[in-house]
Amino acid sequence: MAIEEHIISLLVNNQPGVLSRIAGVFSSRGYNIRSLCVAETTNPEVSRITLTSRAESDFTEKIKKQLDKLVDVISVTDFTGAPAVQRELMLISLRLTPENRKEVLRAIDLFGCRVVAMSEECLIMEITANKDKTAAILKYFEPFGVVEMNRTGAIAVFRQAREG
Amino acid sequence: MDTIGADIVLKTLAEEGVDVIFGYPGANTLPLNDRLADSPIRHYLMRHEQAAAHAADGYARATGKVGVCLSTSGPGATNMVTGIATAYMDSTPMVAITAQVNSDLWGRDAFQETDIIGITMPITKHSFMVRDVNQIASSLRQAFQLASTGRPGPVLVDIPKDILSARCGDQPKKAPTAATKRIANPEQIERIAQALNRSERPVLIIGGGVKLGDACVQMSELVQRAQVPFVTTMMGIGSVSSANGFNLGFIGTHGNELANRMIHQSDFILALGARFTERSTSVISEFAPLATVAQIDIDPTSIGKNIKVDLPFVGDIQEALAALIPLIVPRERDAWLERIRTDRQTLEEKLIDGGCGQAGTLIRKIQAAMPRETIVVPDVGLNQIWTVRTWQSHSPRSLLTSGGMGTMGFSVPAAIGARVGAPDRDVVVICGDGGFYMNIQELATISYYRLPIKIVVINNGHLGMIRQMQDLFYDARFTTSDLGDRVDLVAVARGFGIPAERVAVDEDPAEAIARMGSAEGPYMVEAMVDPDNYVYPIIPPGASNVEMISGK
Repeated sequence: MAIEEHIISLLVNNQPGVLSRIAGVFSSRGYNIRSLCVAETTNPEVSRITLTSRAESDFTEKIKKQLDKLVDVISVTDFTGAPAVQRELMLISLRLTPENRKEVLRAIDLFGCRVVAMSEECLIMEITANKDKTAAILKYFEPFGVVEMNRTGAIAVFRQAREG
Repeated sequence: MDTIGADIVLKTLAEEGVDVIFGYPGANTLPLNDRLADSPIRHYLMRHEQAAAHAADGYARATGKVGVCLSTSGPGATNMVTGIATAYMDSTPMVAITAQVNSDLWGRDAFQETDIIGITMPITKHSFMVRDVNQIASSLRQAFQLASTGRPGPVLVDIPKDILSARCGDQPKKAPTAATKRIANPEQIERIAQALNRSERPVLIIGGGVKLGDACVQMSELVQRAQVPFVTTMMGIGSVSSANGFNLGFIGTHGNELANRMIHQSDFILALGARFTERSTSVISEFAPLATVAQIDIDPTSIGKNIKVDLPFVGDIQEALAALIPLIVPRERDAWLERIRTDRQTLEEKLIDGGCGQAGTLIRKIQAAMPRETIVVPDVGLNQIWTVRTWQSHSPRSLLTSGGMGTMGFSVPAAIGARVGAPDRDVVVICGDGGFYMNIQELATISYYRLPIKIVVINNGHLGMIRQMQDLFYDARFTTSDLGDRVDLVAVARGFGIPAERVAVDEDPAEAIARMGSAEGPYMVEAMVDPDNYVYPIIPPGASNVEMISGK
């Protein structure tokens, strides 16, 4: 079976230990969680967890059934291949030199990134994009000397209102 | 006396219909132990927390009610882990209550502190850490609800000592819960019925879920109406009476050759409450290669977990069978039934003594000496396979065995729970010397409560199943499997206050078994057998279900 990336979104009870149970469903079956984002929803008793994992194509069906069994999981949605807007936020701290300065600033502009802090030797930029684009941008800037990089992992929302 | 958390625990347990718990006290359970004096609930003091969990498990298996065990924090709680895992693997409804250190000490490595919720997460259906005295009742009620519904299993409730001791007002009464009925998916059942009606060589696979779902009567009805042969998993033994000629035995590594062969030749299998573990199927790609696979299970994760399923149905087994049975058109399958009859005859002729040798004869004599309604509790190893292959189960709750987990030491404490739960039935333990050692301290519990449990230790001086595998697959190099012959088990049993006697290898066990059967209280028979008494045929590791071997 082909290995592909899956984006899964869960609504869960906002309680201690819930994340640990969800992580256990993945780890006990040998799946690695590649990115993870947890935050409260508009209802403070409910949190949304968005995570990505690489696995075979029947993964979602199997893992979804296991996640559905957890008492604290309210719903499980698979965004893989679905019509949805997907974004992640990435911060890159880049070394600045007199030689690269001009090219870096031009590229930031072209890619639609935003400079959030800047000094003589260093610049921090912010990128919000889907994962393919953030990956491409990171790859482009790597030769200039990335001091530090941090990213949130994917979150997603369906394009159209759905039932349930 | 003021009402405290411990009173709420006991009151809620009583409301849930609990009349007995199996436990072992510690400093952190003391508020509970103290208030037990004023509660109608009986507490059986075991001699080890592992045994308390197995006893609760045995109680649940014998009665169908939720079994309850209680331990203190730290080592008390970790000792229960094996018992909880055993219940989890066999889907036994159980509520395990652990006391925890005072909540202001959490995370400070306090004396006897351990994160038991974290430790048991993969082996419980769910767990509750009670953080407030006002949550005790609701947490326990949810625990009972979760343990006993859907696919049953153990639920753990961890309660800190300060919360057990905290003063509180009366708790709100249990709100009546509306019964949630799953709407059956009728087209799926219709499709299963059509496939079964069309099939030329069908076989049903009856798993432990049929007993758990209390659907044995409907199961027999399906067999009778469809006139279809069936196999069981080890956990499904006894669900349907063997008497009707459709029973092919149980499948798997140590199962019956006829069962394994007929599954291999079948063109349609319908599994009910079975999850196709590798012990049942061996190499999955070679299991039932010609068959369309239909599966009915209450647990959606059990469907298609191990095998590709063509016709699934998720739902209550009783409801599923009630919908399925009227759709079955009885038809003649003479060629198939004839093939089964011929194979049965050939295979039975081939097998001397049912493949269990001297031990098989012993077990047959034990059953003959005991009343029909006796509960038999085998341990794990050769003794288990000898027992499940030899003992004729007449009713669903009469053979209690650790199937999924294969926990040595299960039998003696589980028998205690079974006897406490079913005081009108005789209980006989059949275990090996290895498993007997693993919870031997429970002889003290049996003796203390004068529980009339009969124990047969089949002593071959070895870890017999390990020895057989070493003999067959490791060039007969018998390392680390010799238990020796220097322990006088009869003296050990007598030391615990239990009458006992020994039967030599070449002696007829009939008289000893008769004395055991007629003894008023507990009794132990140590039956010596030849260490070369194995079980045949078996499936070698890595082979398929039709490659059973009958010797070296």
